Amino acid sequence: MKILDVKELHASYSASGPEILKGISFSIEDDDFFAIIGPSGAGKSTLIRCINRLVEPTSGVIVFDNRSVTTLSRKGLKLLRRDIGMIFQEFNLINRMSVMDNVLSGRLGYTGNLRTLFRSFRRDDIDHALQLLERVGLIDHVDKRADELSGGQRQRVGIARALMQNPKLLLVDEPTSALDPKISREVMGLIKQMATELKVPCLCNIHDVDLAKEFCNKIIGLQDGIKMFDGLTEDMDQGKLDEIYAMEVL
Amino acid sequence: MSTPTMSPQDSRHIAKDAQSTLQWRRFKFPGSLIRYAVWLSVFVFLAYSVEYLEIPLERLLGIFGRMGATLANRYYPPDMEYIMDADYMRYVVETIQMAYLGALFGLVATVPLGWFASYNMTPSRCFVYPVARLVTMSCRAVHEMIFAIIFVAILGYGMLPGVLALTFFCTGFAGKLFAEEIEAIDIGPVEAMRATGANLFQIMVFGVFPQVRVAFTGIAIYTWDVAFRAATVVGFFGAGGMGWYLKRNVLQIESERVAAILVSIIILVFISEMLSAWARNTVMKMK
Repeated sequence: MKILDVKELHASYSASGPEILKGISFSIEDDDFFAIIGPSGAGKSTLIRCINRLVEPTSGVIVFDNRSVTTLSRKGLKLLRRDIGMIFQEFNLINRMSVMDNVLSGRLGYTGNLRTLFRSFRRDDIDHALQLLERVGLIDHVDKRADELSGGQRQRVGIARALMQNPKLLLVDEPTSALDPKISREVMGLIKQMATELKVPCLCNIHDVDLAKEFCNKIIGLQDGIKMFDGLTEDMDQGKLDEIYAMEVL
Repeated sequence: MSTPTMSPQDSRHIAKDAQSTLQWRRFKFPGSLIRYAVWLSVFVFLAYSVEYLEIPLERLLGIFGRMGATLANRYYPPDMEYIMDADYMRYVVETIQMAYLGALFGLVATVPLGWFASYNMTPSRCFVYPVARLVTMSCRAVHEMIFAIIFVAILGYGMLPGVLALTFFCTGFAGKLFAEEIEAIDIGPVEAMRATGANLFQIMVFGVFPQVRVAFTGIAIYTWDVAFRAATVVGFFGAGGMGWYLKRNVLQIESERVAAILVSIIILVFISEMLSAWARNTVMKMK
């Protein structure tokens, strides 16, 4: 079943500025682990941010879970974002808050303003957070401040926060660029494992082609806002890779 | 556009042969010209102002001697007995209370105002932002003494107009600083909170306030500093506190009592600044 369908997506940051995405189309099935690869500046982050409208696309159609993303009202957009978890390159944790509060912040979409102010989350949410923290291996660090953790641990908090939403789709933006190779592989492994276990499809930006080949079943290759490749990981070969990264050699 | 014909650097320019297309000049037109013109106007205005004031430089030299003589003859010794009076102490306490309430109310008002007046987080850039900016700017534009005069005129003598004057003053003072702190935050956590489906209020509580908490505490201490200093003089216009004592004795030319009051103000401000410097240092150690 298709969970996400993107058609002819265009995006630019200002009306007069350069176009970042030039008509991208693709779709994600509900068991996909999708990689977006491509050189820096190809539009990978922009593409991923258009899905939950952190970046407003200029034109095109995005259908997620039978909802037309581009035409949603403000309220509808918040409801949509609750269903889409996001994992960031720089973790984007709240450094001065505890690991627990960071993970619980994934439930803000389901929490009222008064509860938010006093950080009084529901018991279910706290239990869920504890389970996730146990799964990502941080159960001993629950009360530590986020900035006391190492890079790999911080990204684990980020993963737990995203899963806290019970998402129907995970957007993963360069989860490993701030990490060393060994930790990168561990983090990717964890995302893959959790996604499979919880049956959440993933759309993952990644510039490390080896990691993409290892963990993802489908790959989109972007180059300067244009889709150069879209298919199964097995069909990706060196020739096609060279084509995608041709610009970077210059 | 860039044809700097008057540049003095032209003579030093070496790459004169027609083959070379590489060129660089420090003098940019019109950027450099504007910069020189600004500096020139600063000095011209300085000369003009000094000329207009007719500052007699030879008299400036004797100023410290004359000041010392005046202080020694008329203000010494300070009438310390006068300020050891319980009545006066009551006014000192009132001054502290006024500064405390003014700073507190001002800071409470600052939290939403700073949020609304920060360009990156304001709920609406075309309506709320300009209004909030206007409010903070108005509070800053009007001097605390003028606020005191206005509120005394409206509400009569007493502590209330003093507290209100200080509240407005602190709101303007802290509001701008706080808005600037919010504008300088890391937008990453904000984006993460937005992506979870949180509303703007929740984004502020989780994504923004934790980032500016320490800075806000610093601003609060600083605000207390200026509020206390202002509180010692708003009484001059009848707005409560020890300023009233000061005014009365100035008018009665009780110079030795005035000296004693000034001494007490200096001591109090000194103690307050010591405490806040210590508090600020402690806060800065928190990350």
